[in-house]
Amino acid sequence: MDGKTAGIEPDISVLMARVKEGDKNAFQDITRRYQQKIFVLAYSFFRDREDALDIVQETFLRLYEKAGLFREGEDFKAWLFQIARNLCIDSYRRNRNRRNDRTADLRLEDLPSEAGDPADGERRADLRALFRSVLDKLAEKQRAVFVMKHYNDMPYLEIARTLGIALGTVKSLHFKAVRNLRKHLGPHMGMTS
Amino acid sequence: MNDCRIYRDQWVAFLSRELGPEEERTMSAHLGACPRCRKEVEALRALFDEADSVREETRAALASVDWETLPSRIAARLPERSAPESRFRERYRPGLWSPRLRPALAGLLLGLLLGGTAMFFALRKPSAPRPAAEFFASGEFLDRVEIELARRQTLSYLDKSQYLFLDVLDRTAGSESAAQGALTSREAQDLIARKKYLNPQLDKFRMAKAKDLCDQIELLVFELSQISSEVSAAEIERIQGMVRDRQLLMKIRLVKKELERSEV
Repeated sequence: MDGKTAGIEPDISVLMARVKEGDKNAFQDITRRYQQKIFVLAYSFFRDREDALDIVQETFLRLYEKAGLFREGEDFKAWLFQIARNLCIDSYRRNRNRRNDRTADLRLEDLPSEAGDPADGERRADLRALFRSVLDKLAEKQRAVFVMKHYNDMPYLEIARTLGIALGTVKSLHFKAVRNLRKHLGPHMGMTS
Repeated sequence: MNDCRIYRDQWVAFLSRELGPEEERTMSAHLGACPRCRKEVEALRALFDEADSVREETRAALASVDWETLPSRIAARLPERSAPESRFRERYRPGLWSPRLRPALAGLLLGLLLGGTAMFFALRKPSAPRPAAEFFASGEFLDRVEIELARRQTLSYLDKSQYLFLDVLDRTAGSESAAQGALTSREAQDLIARKKYLNPQLDKFRMAKAKDLCDQIELLVFELSQISSEVSAAEIERIQGMVRDRQLLMKIRLVKKELERSEV
């Protein structure tokens, strides 16, 4: 029954039709197929393994509950990612104050923009930590677009469908995200501002 | 310079491989010719590489998860959750009483309570003076009503007295039957009772003339009330004489006319 064991990947609309009828095997097939993609998205948001796993689990449970709302012919990946992305944002907002992040209360503007002169070994680690902090401080949609583009390898068009925004808006959000990252990380990377 | 500005907006898309083949060729040509833009794009590429360092971390996290068993573990939680068919009931019903909505519900209840109270007073206030308005009468009006009542009752008293006296004057001694005597006595007693009721009303200034007459009538009526079947002819004549002497019937007519004219 399992698509994988049969060697043929059943069409997602067929699996969804079975999920609508309460078929748990079909549900597991879908989970198996998309779980890592959702994990990458969630991990890019939280950079916490447990938080990311919670999002994966909640995303697929929601998929089961909302299966009746999925229309045949709809972009399934965009639909599923939209569920995951909304859960990420909800969870991020809910736990913002509880997150074990020393820079949680800082704004993007508060981060240092002057280059230090650390030893080379530490420099890489510091830069990586700073990159995460700056990424965290990006505006919600800029961060979502950057994460989907860089960590989920999603093309602009797919991001636009997932976020329900125009293609031009995705380009613009990506551009702004990179510009902000450059503004705050550039001095640490030896770039001129 | 202007060209560089146009290309600068495309750098991110170029590095993300999101440009079309023609745009990509044009960008590559420009970067080959413009060292300043090339330097900037190289800096952005370094930034993208830095982003990839986070990707390495993600890959390490990915490798630490048992992906084979995760789908069954998630599926094992499904019975705890609602089936697809009942998703609306599951999602919306408890949502109404969720702690997040409680302040809104409390506000709604408070609003209803205050609104209801305001409506109660708003609707009640105008209706309050209504009964007062229905029963309101000035002192002057009440005085006029009292005088009018006194006038009518006096007229009625005089009418009955007139009939009684006419009846007495028509009698001849000896013709008085027992039944007639009893009737006259009852009518006289009735008039005495009326007079008692009328007395307070006759005390009014405008009723002075009527009061004087009614008092005279009362005396005669009192005597008439004592009439019995054994009354003597002399007694009848004495009463008839009193009616004539005092010109009671004429006075009754005059006072009646006056009272009828003075209708309030």
